[in-house]
Amino acid sequence: MRARLATIPIIVLTLALLPLAGPAHAHPEFEKAIEARSGRTIDCAFCHAHPDGPEGVHAGQIGALSPAEMQALNRARTAFEPGAEVDSPILNDFGDHLVTALGKKRLVALRQAPLQMVDELGDSDLDGDGISDAQEMLDGTHPLMRHHGAPGSLFVVNLQRSWFEILMLIIATVFGVYGISHLLRWFGHEARSALGDDARSALGDDARSASGDDARSALGDDARSASGDGAHSALRGEGEPHDG
Amino acid sequence: MKPTTRTRRFVAFLAERLPAEKMSLQAMVQKKEVPVHRWSWAYYLGGLALFFFVIQIVTGLMMLFYYEPSVATAHASVEHLTNNVPGGALIRNLHAWSSSAMILSVMLHLLTTFAMKAFGRPRELTWVSGVLLLFLVFGFGFTGYLLPWHQIAVNATKVGLGSIEQFGEYLPGDLADLPRQIRETIQGGATVGQATLSRFYAIHVVVLPLISLGLLGFHLLSVQLHGMSPGVDRPTGRTEKFFPLFILKDLKVWGVVFLMLAVVAICVPFDAFLDYPLGAPYNPLGSTPDGIKPEWYFFWMYYPLELLPFWLVAGGMAVLQVGLLLVPRIFRGTSRRVLRTLAAAAAIYLIVITLFGQAIYEMFSGGH
Repeated sequence: MRARLATIPIIVLTLALLPLAGPAHAHPEFEKAIEARSGRTIDCAFCHAHPDGPEGVHAGQIGALSPAEMQALNRARTAFEPGAEVDSPILNDFGDHLVTALGKKRLVALRQAPLQMVDELGDSDLDGDGISDAQEMLDGTHPLMRHHGAPGSLFVVNLQRSWFEILMLIIATVFGVYGISHLLRWFGHEARSALGDDARSALGDDARSASGDDARSALGDDARSASGDGAHSALRGEGEPHDG
Repeated sequence: MKPTTRTRRFVAFLAERLPAEKMSLQAMVQKKEVPVHRWSWAYYLGGLALFFFVIQIVTGLMMLFYYEPSVATAHASVEHLTNNVPGGALIRNLHAWSSSAMILSVMLHLLTTFAMKAFGRPRELTWVSGVLLLFLVFGFGFTGYLLPWHQIAVNATKVGLGSIEQFGEYLPGDLADLPRQIRETIQGGATVGQATLSRFYAIHVVVLPLISLGLLGFHLLSVQLHGMSPGVDRPTGRTEKFFPLFILKDLKVWGVVFLMLAVVAICVPFDAFLDYPLGAPYNPLGSTPDGIKPEWYFFWMYYPLELLPFWLVAGGMAVLQVGLLLVPRIFRGTSRRVLRTLAAAAAIYLIVITLFGQAIYEMFSGGH
């Protein structure tokens, strides 16, 4: 009974503040402006705790708030001017940041020109992905997810951040390719020298000139003769069966 | 035809496709040659697909240490892997990027093989096993997409599975209920839930890899037995040894491609391309967000499904699948010039629908 009585002032306070606080629903003007600017689809979870916005009875929506959360919501609703610390149960960290940075009054006014907010947000970067929250708004990417951003911008930022690892990768690849190339040359050299010995001893010098001095053929048909019975089969005209 | 004659012909058919006398290291490796001509670059595509498949296996195994296939924890486990495990984001990115790269290289491999008429006798079974591998690759993509259990994953899977049920409208009598039963068998219940996740997980990490390994083994054996197809009408006569030259060149290509893949995986998270990335787990009580789309490699059938009557697209897909398997028979006598034209047309369609599918869809649907 006492607990129930204790909630009465909260309810009265809530009812008293509601007209001051304005409508409870999300502001679709921002969502539409961001989608039009970026070409991406976003939902209310851009600023709110729930993807469907604040109205409803699920976690992060007004219908599911506890009395303590209602108090926190009402405190947030009175943050009309910038600078107030906000921790609203229906907003995510970016939503709270918007209210803190701009104040509720300015936010409501910006519904007429949502993208002007970008100029007033400063260069905050809540997810630390290297792209400012304002830019993420323009790009339609989530300002609280460091793996979500405009791919081109993320590429530049991460290239600068991970330059050492990438440099090591490039060096390792260059050395690997260099090593393989030299291995190829060595194989070619071995094949040619083996061919020279074989051809001289088995077929005479004429066979060598007939086989051509093209390096590629030396590594292909000629190298085959070096591998064993290839010299004789090459002269007999044998090859892999190919269909037409 | 007498049964014995039929059996004899079948055995002869198999003996030509799987010649026992060539099953030796000398015939399959030492003696194998690769033709050299202006289409030679296409011979690297199969190897590239194999390389990406290996990356898929290695990174997939790494992620198995952290992933939990439960609707309550799947999303959190992927989030933990991405945000807290050292190197976790890179491994996940490598997995995502290389899956796309694998599908791209498999599609290119199919188109170039078709254009070069590499499916001709005696390589029919090589082609058929390759087409089956292509289907499996799409199966990997579809089942893997669900596993992070976020908004886009679950809703896209719902849309995909929902299209199976639509077939029922075009089937007569009791058969009309069959697609619904198939759908519920795949998803394990009336809706997409824990049973679906468990099944997709099992299919993605056990069933498909096992089938793939078997088919891949057969495909590679077949390629080694018959060697590379000449690929052109007038062979240059120039060849190079498969071992070691072509193998080493393959390794060089793999090295450069891995460097590119690693740089992209380090610098551009795959989630960056999604409208609804790994933000919040799927909420069954929430509404379906706008703009739910499958992965890019399904656009070639997704946008036609959005724009054209279902029966038309479904019929076209069925014909395409059967047609792909029967390519060696249908195009037996077709010239390479015609095949190249057909392959180019298919490539143009795939590029246009993948890059401009959304714009085309908006143009024909009035911007909705």
